[in-house]
Amino acid sequence: MDSLIAKADALGKKRKYYAPSAAGPSKKPQSDRTFQSIQKRTSVPKSLQVVTPENAKEYKHIANKKLRTELNKQSAQNSQAKALLEDADLLLTGEAGMMEVEGEMDKTWRVGQSEMAENSGQEAARGRREWKLDGGPYRSRYTRNGRHLAIAGSTGHVATFDWQSGTLHTELQLQETCRDITFLHDESHFAVAQKKYTFIYDRDGVELHCLKAHIEPTRLEFLPYHWLLASVGNAGYLKYQDTSTGQLLTEHRTKLGACTAMTQNIHNAVIHLGHHNGTVTLWTPNLPHPAVQLLAHMGPVSSVSIDPSTGGRYMATAGKDSTVKVWDCRNWKGCVREWTSRGGQAEIEWSQRGALAVAAGGTVNVYTKPSIHTTVHGNTQPPLYMTHPIPQRPLSSVRFAPFHDILTVGHNAGLSSILVPGAGEPNFDSTEADPFENKKARREREVKALLDKIQPDAIMLDPEFVGTLAPPPSAAEDSTIPFARLSRMDRLKVSGKIDDTEMNSSDEEAPQDAESKAARKEEREKRKMRGKGKSMKRYLRKQRKNVIDPRAVAVRAKLEKQKEQKRKEIELRNGGEVRKPSALDRFKRPS
Amino acid sequence: MVKISVLQHAPAEHLPRRPGDPTPVARNLDPLMHPFARARERTRALNAAKMTRMFAKPFVAALEGHMDAVEVITKKPGDLITVASGSWDGGLIVHNISTRSHILNLPQAHKGKLSGITFADDSRILSCGVDRTVKLWDTRSQDETPSMVFPGKSPFNALDHHRSDPLFATASNIIQVWDESKTSAISNLTFPTATETITSVKFNQSEPSVLASIGSDRSFTLYDIRTGKAERRVIMHFRSNALSWCPTHPTTLLLASEDHNLYTFDIRHMDTPSQIYKGHVAAVMSCDWSPTGLELVSGGWDRTIRLWKKDRGTSEDAFHTKRMGRISSTVVTNDARFLLSGSDDGNLRIWKSNASEKMGVVNSRERAAIEYRDELVNRWKMDKEVGRVARARNLPKPVHQASKLKTTMLEAQRVKEERRRKHTRSGDSKPKAARKKAVIVEQA
Repeated sequence: MDSLIAKADALGKKRKYYAPSAAGPSKKPQSDRTFQSIQKRTSVPKSLQVVTPENAKEYKHIANKKLRTELNKQSAQNSQAKALLEDADLLLTGEAGMMEVEGEMDKTWRVGQSEMAENSGQEAARGRREWKLDGGPYRSRYTRNGRHLAIAGSTGHVATFDWQSGTLHTELQLQETCRDITFLHDESHFAVAQKKYTFIYDRDGVELHCLKAHIEPTRLEFLPYHWLLASVGNAGYLKYQDTSTGQLLTEHRTKLGACTAMTQNIHNAVIHLGHHNGTVTLWTPNLPHPAVQLLAHMGPVSSVSIDPSTGGRYMATAGKDSTVKVWDCRNWKGCVREWTSRGGQAEIEWSQRGALAVAAGGTVNVYTKPSIHTTVHGNTQPPLYMTHPIPQRPLSSVRFAPFHDILTVGHNAGLSSILVPGAGEPNFDSTEADPFENKKARREREVKALLDKIQPDAIMLDPEFVGTLAPPPSAAEDSTIPFARLSRMDRLKVSGKIDDTEMNSSDEEAPQDAESKAARKEEREKRKMRGKGKSMKRYLRKQRKNVIDPRAVAVRAKLEKQKEQKRKEIELRNGGEVRKPSALDRFKRPS
Repeated sequence: MVKISVLQHAPAEHLPRRPGDPTPVARNLDPLMHPFARARERTRALNAAKMTRMFAKPFVAALEGHMDAVEVITKKPGDLITVASGSWDGGLIVHNISTRSHILNLPQAHKGKLSGITFADDSRILSCGVDRTVKLWDTRSQDETPSMVFPGKSPFNALDHHRSDPLFATASNIIQVWDESKTSAISNLTFPTATETITSVKFNQSEPSVLASIGSDRSFTLYDIRTGKAERRVIMHFRSNALSWCPTHPTTLLLASEDHNLYTFDIRHMDTPSQIYKGHVAAVMSCDWSPTGLELVSGGWDRTIRLWKKDRGTSEDAFHTKRMGRISSTVVTNDARFLLSGSDDGNLRIWKSNASEKMGVVNSRERAAIEYRDELVNRWKMDKEVGRVARARNLPKPVHQASKLKTTMLEAQRVKEERRRKHTRSGDSKPKAARKKAVIVEQA
């Protein structure tokens, strides 16, 4: 019997938790001889070593021990993986393009396209092309891997082709107005916004679907990870069609009239619309109203674009008031910078590496990254990186080719693609978009993408929200802290006396008890005197902050005093005499 | 002077060198290149959980042959395919579970119920019955007569063979230790004050002279055959129906109790069980450890087989079929891939221990995909939807109703206890952890 127990001990004693004694020194863990003897001669690869990085998040607030350990392990693993990602950068072989000048007096924008094409490699120089086409201003769109191009002329000339190899997939003369074109998940399907409806064609130009719900569409966007085709039209309705199931998901009435500026944020699948009254609105399929609405321009918005190189943090808008503005999407209080573009309304687009192309009047200007993101007050143009004149006005679309240093500008006499060194991302990822993929890979990626299709109800402004834990409870919700130790705010919260209407109004999905609290408040308000329940008054009351700020009171008093003094001075100057204070003044009505 | 370089890809690097070569794959791990990485991973996890449940077909085969309820199943140590089973009508069958054929079939091995089987060595089997005999059989000879008969004084309830020596122990009203070459018991083991019927007995695997037994008076007892004495005894609230020693941790013992629970004890701390496994809705009739010592399996009166992880109190999976009777014995095969269950209806059933496992050859790509899916489900199991899909089990209606009823009753009990505590003087009665309640008394 004892030998059995002894044998069990050899496997390690059952752990017991003792309260740490105050006096006794803590035992040091015994050194493991075997481990030390091996340690000198062996080195485990860095990726297999278990290191707990300092910035790993610890879930101290979680009571369940097993869950806590699991979460801590996971967060350590995540932050280690993040650190290892930096090492993986060494494996990237592609080199981005660039253009540099040596002297102070030299400018990059002085370099013309012909010089650029001469100095670049043979393969790269093929990107400089001119397509001379009849049929009005053209709009274009690249596939996500940058290999295929779709073009649509406003009189109905539609074509898709592999621009690198020069193979034409299809060419159609639709004989009616085409306002926009977009590829769906890959080059095998594309959608055209035609005069009355949106149509879907396949690679060979066979008309597959007529989307009769999308009436008079002006702009199209395809959300690749959600398989949604979004369109907005002259009626001002934003419609989402699920292209994997074919069902019309939602339609939002913007109430802002016809819309001709639309773009998507590829990092959170939010649709940005620019309207004729100068507002820009952000839409998700889940909200019946815009998630954000801002007044961007003092005239119609002509184009909107989002910077993919910063994770969708910056947005650029161009308006018919011939200004271009750059906005920070985290803070909508005013734009980061604005400047006037010559030649009226502009078309704009950010490239993968953060170059901003602005096509206005008869020129295309390209600006680069650090300067367009820096805050500058006043109307100053950022330093120009590149410029290229195109006389065939109007310039109707600008598109950067993904994974290439190429910008394609659609204009009245066809399209011209120009070289923009440093615009494209040099290293692609085969699992996302591969310019060199073959037929088999394309098919496999299509199936995988369908399996990984994200449900549209997961679209929100913060894409990282999925899979995050609820934040640790505040002191007020933590019942282990005694009431006496809580801060004043927390005490008010616990006793239910705090006015939390503002907190609740900001986020709709407040926890339940907060809701019930709000409900109780509503009840209390109902019992108040008559005439106070007017909706406007209730609204104003909610807006009012129920705090008397002594500073604000003092400032107000001071202002009042100054005003009084000024009034007296003016009176004096106008020839009035200083009135002696009279004893009857006390009966005077305060003015 | 202007330095210009324009990005260009070398197609030779991204296309296969020769026809038939795999296409080179380029990776860029920059998070900006992978939008919605988290959301897509969640979708993949949800799909993985659904696929796991879709492929969950645990039942493999039923082995027929017994005329009456299967009472006992034993696997042969160090063998993956040989299993012996005994039934209520005294029949004994040795199965080859890989070919699903009978190696030996003895319809009348004992008169009345056959209550215990154990493998003595490579080819010989010991069986005992309520006919007060232990019989030794040779599987090679196909002989219908036993090679040896050990007569006893009272009906035997169980027997187990020593791991290395030619000794075996039987359980009747006392524990008897026998030598294979002698026809009478060499020693009797009993706890001094006990007057119980012993229902099961098992040798420890790593300290083979230690024995554990369970008795009808709600006790389990530890003996040492070298001292010839009972060492410890524990009385619990309900009697146990089966016991099993952990194959990897020598001091851990598993009991299947009449109170619908399983208990593991560390025999160094017999006053409390180390874990209670709750999930059955009727008495647990049998239990067994997986050879890894990390998983358990149990079969119950509620006609379900449940799989458990060690030290996790809720069951991982529950198996059932429409026609399966009450389960009297369960065994995990030595490769931990299959479970065997013997039930009232006279069938021996083979189950996969991982319900969604693919039988047959799995190539390396498929293996990698399966492992990736499993890891995804494990990582996202805290997600509401993924967890719901991964955890949900459809149980037979009577089991589901019984578990609902049981929850209601336990909840009512808890509420009553709480109210009682609230209305007595504070500090008079403290709530007691369920683990502390299980054992009534520990005797030495």
